[in-house]
Amino acid sequence: MWQQVELALRQSAHRVLVKLASFLPALVALLLAVIVLALIGAGLAALLRRTLIAAKFDERLARNAIAPISDWSPANSPTALLSRVVFWGCVLIGCFIGISAFDAAYPGDSQISVFVFPYVTHAIGAVLLLITGTVIARFLERSVLIGAVNAKLQYARMLSLGIKWLVLVLTAAMVLDHLQIGGAVVELAFGILFGGIVLTLALAVGLGSRNIVSRSLERSASLDPIPGDPDYRPHTPPENLRHF
Amino acid sequence: MASTETKVNPDAASPSGVSSGLLVSLAPLPQESFELILGNLALAFRGEDVLVASPDVAPQSSGSPLRLLSYSPATVSGSPWILTAADYLLTYKLAQEHQMSACILLGGESQSLSPEAIRALARSAQQYDLTLAHYDLGPHEGLVNAAILYPVTRALFGTRPRFPLAIDVGLSLKMAGRLAAAAQRSISAGQNDAILWTLSEAVSANCTIAEVTVGTRTFPQPIAADLNAVLAQVAGSLFADVEAKASFWQRARGTQLPASVASSAPIVDSPADVASMLDAFRLAYTNLQEIWSLVLPPNSLLGLKKLSLANPESFRMPDNLWVRIVYDFILAFRLRTINRGHLLGALTPLYLAWTASHLTLISSGTSPEKHIQDLAVAFETDKPYFVARWRWPDRFNP
Repeated sequence: MWQQVELALRQSAHRVLVKLASFLPALVALLLAVIVLALIGAGLAALLRRTLIAAKFDERLARNAIAPISDWSPANSPTALLSRVVFWGCVLIGCFIGISAFDAAYPGDSQISVFVFPYVTHAIGAVLLLITGTVIARFLERSVLIGAVNAKLQYARMLSLGIKWLVLVLTAAMVLDHLQIGGAVVELAFGILFGGIVLTLALAVGLGSRNIVSRSLERSASLDPIPGDPDYRPHTPPENLRHF
Repeated sequence: MASTETKVNPDAASPSGVSSGLLVSLAPLPQESFELILGNLALAFRGEDVLVASPDVAPQSSGSPLRLLSYSPATVSGSPWILTAADYLLTYKLAQEHQMSACILLGGESQSLSPEAIRALARSAQQYDLTLAHYDLGPHEGLVNAAILYPVTRALFGTRPRFPLAIDVGLSLKMAGRLAAAAQRSISAGQNDAILWTLSEAVSANCTIAEVTVGTRTFPQPIAADLNAVLAQVAGSLFADVEAKASFWQRARGTQLPASVASSAPIVDSPADVASMLDAFRLAYTNLQEIWSLVLPPNSLLGLKKLSLANPESFRMPDNLWVRIVYDFILAFRLRTINRGHLLGALTPLYLAWTASHLTLISSGTSPEKHIQDLAVAFETDKPYFVARWRWPDRFNP
């Protein structure tokens, strides 16, 4: 009996090693494709960067006042942005080639690429969604923070964090949905979380801005003085400071 | 370096004539104000041939001796409180069309200008390429100009005029043409309400510059009462102009002769209410430190920390701290360290801190003009720091 156990173990180990041995070339082909394309991408990106700097691409773009793109990428010039797009594009192509090479080098009838390619496409879309959502969340957080601070709202920090997490939660839900992870559970959790954050913000803003609303109403009422009202006191403007 | 001749022409009552070929361009005014300004212009240019262009319709029974030209502006200005690119372009076109040798632009509320002031402006426009008005302001007026516009323009471009963004301007046809070209570029980019910095344009073009004292005046106020939005508009425009003319001001050398400071007695006035400004600054310090730390070096942040702990009575922002703050913000604007809208929004509480400091200082007896001139000198003294960081921004990153 022990001989049969030993035989079974030896045969299964042999099968696994054979599978591993046949798997390794495919893996090496995948890694090689990614590395080679990454190196090509780095070279192309460097070449593009030098060309654009020589052609004063950033200055020409600024002169033509095409501001929104560069305003959305803090500390990144359009030249850097383009070169990074080229680099990561090459890496992506390398991934696709690598997967295809893996499929070709891996013996058998599994046709892995038929299943992997669509999911890789979804994964790339999800990564782009995540990046975009993060950028938007950070932008909105800062916009709300600065606007609220200049409006002298004491809860500026909480408001900005609330907005940021709203956008991030929305982004996370979209990413998970795109990757087809979780299904209805994710949708339900997102709905509860989103609604909770909105309710919290509404309560905070509503309770915290009572004074602002009443001041605003007083101000608008002072524009149309009610004649003949003995108790009416017009709103007196603050000290006459002329900034301009 | 472009040599400029900057003179201060005191207002004189000499009846010397203004030669023909003068165009006076007026901003839109209410009917009553329009009739007043026409009366002032008739007094200023008695018996002289002057063309007055205005979008307002002259009253039918005015009997004005002036030649009136009514025009319809292509677009309604979104910033009627200052002179915009569209105003300069239109004025040049009218001056060229009617073969005028000089023109003066009078901003909103121009009926408050005296005939003598208008005449002095016109006389100077006939002799110099660019004439800017010098206003007599109260201690609580023109604070943004005192804090940022004047000292930055003086330090970087080596010019003396006290009000770089004056709304009463005299131009030779040559200068008007140059400004019109700059205006055309802005308008082509869809920015009809772009602010033109006439002083830097004149200096970089080696044009002659003069300054005329016009006394007191009523100033139109921005439609949008939000200080944040207006400060962002004005400061952003200035920073963009500094960036555009970097090749000029990096070479500019020399300091101006100290302008004669009016020896006004220290003003003991009711102290301005700085409490709200201090509250705004402290709130911003608590919330915006992370953003400020992306722009300002540790020394400046330390200075702001000390300031946030100061008592209201002794709230004093050192001049060199404010200088570094402004220069670092201009650098951050150029490098796009953060989104430009966010950057300019983060500047507002710091400006309020400076204003509170300035008002506290003048309430203790210091002459406002002396403090402003000292601040301008501090900007000039620290210009090498700004030039060095402009050229080698990677040497120090906060």
